[in-house]
Amino acid sequence: MAVLKYRIIPEGAVAGYTIPLNIVFMDMKDIQASGLTADAAVERVAAAIPGAAGLNVFDMDAVTTTSDGIMVRGAIIKMAAADRGKINPDFGRLDMEEMPYSEQLVAEEPHLKQWEGNFKGRRLFRGPDPAKKVIPVHNVVITGRASNNNSATEMMNVVTMEEILLPIMGQLEIMEGGEVLIGYTGGIISVGIGMTVAEQYGRVFPTRQFKAGETAHGSGEYAQTLKREIPCIVSNKKTFARNVIAALNAGMVPAREIGCAPAILAIAKLLGKAVAVENIQDKAWEELASVGFSKAWLLSPAPVITEAELLERADELVPGVSNPVKVKASELAVLAALEVE
Amino acid sequence: MRLMHTKLPDYLRKMHEAVQKHFPEKDIRIRGLENLKSAKMQSLRTGRIEHAVEEIALAEGVDQVEMVVIPRVPETMHTVIIKGLGTDGEVKKAILEVINILHATEEDELGNCTDIDDRRPKIGRH
Repeated sequence: MAVLKYRIIPEGAVAGYTIPLNIVFMDMKDIQASGLTADAAVERVAAAIPGAAGLNVFDMDAVTTTSDGIMVRGAIIKMAAADRGKINPDFGRLDMEEMPYSEQLVAEEPHLKQWEGNFKGRRLFRGPDPAKKVIPVHNVVITGRASNNNSATEMMNVVTMEEILLPIMGQLEIMEGGEVLIGYTGGIISVGIGMTVAEQYGRVFPTRQFKAGETAHGSGEYAQTLKREIPCIVSNKKTFARNVIAALNAGMVPAREIGCAPAILAIAKLLGKAVAVENIQDKAWEELASVGFSKAWLLSPAPVITEAELLERADELVPGVSNPVKVKASELAVLAALEVE
Repeated sequence: MRLMHTKLPDYLRKMHEAVQKHFPEKDIRIRGLENLKSAKMQSLRTGRIEHAVEEIALAEGVDQVEMVVIPRVPETMHTVIIKGLGTDGEVKKAILEVINILHATEEDELGNCTDIDDRRPKIGRH
């Protein structure tokens, strides 16, 4: 008898924030140790959960990118949605597509220069191949009430209509057993998640729709309201800052190779790093300025601090998340195990 | 060709009759078509569904019959027509938009039932 280990945030509430469905995190190494295939493992865990659930399978040796183009270690390779122990056979699961390394891909998506510099040899996964998915618009899987959307970074119960945002760095922090923040997404992240980079088979967009410096929202002052009142679980700000610093030090310039989200601009400004100001489109400026990150702010002189100081004071200096509460990942996503044959 | 598609009122009548011809005191509850005022329903399926309603109504242990119509693919894209009407009722200005809607799949309706006979064709076939 083998054991299948996984982590689960049970449906309910944490620190006053609604968890609208069960959220499951599975490591491919744990699945391999159980002797099951990834599909079978997901089915076994789903069968053990009587309610609605979103399930994500990770390859922690692979790499992925955030929507703003920061490359990080660890990737979701499969997502599923389950309800009452079942996974819908047509719409309930989806694999992310591996993007093999090539010089042409890096030339077409220059933020991938981080790959060779910081993560050489690791496999890359982001979103699915649109030709392999049945649901036509979003990268979403649905079973019963459970919906796992945007390549597993946004989950909801479509009956209660409650939703939670799960940016990839927070999920990876949970897999690593670190500390995460739970709070309301707020206006700054609502604006930031629109500052994407152009990716083939991206997490949200299947084709290269919006380049660095542009906004995928195009909603002006309204962009800040997009996810403002929705709970989110994100990485602690020190982890976030460390990842952004690694990208900046790999030669990534906000609004040139990586997105111009408020938190990235704030870090670049604090460290005195270059920003491709001229590439930031008017529509993006409008959204940025609506949450306090105007062109005048970016161009205004400010003291430069060291990376060490930024990391030390990340909670205070990195913007984003309303009313955050810091929690240990191991207390939020508790370890569980199933005996499997 | 008139038999290829059934008028919505005829579809609804057939479903009620499928129950009431066996149980005159009972009726079927239908959800998911409330928004439709006029529609042509696939005739071949109408007949199959009519028989399925009858089969369920006669099944052992069944007290009530419900029919729920949900989208086959649970994310649907809709055209949204925003119309400005004049005092004469004519459309004076309009804006067309889209909205994508996420729906629950059938598992939300089926509870813990295990006796499910899935007679749907596979996705892409009809």
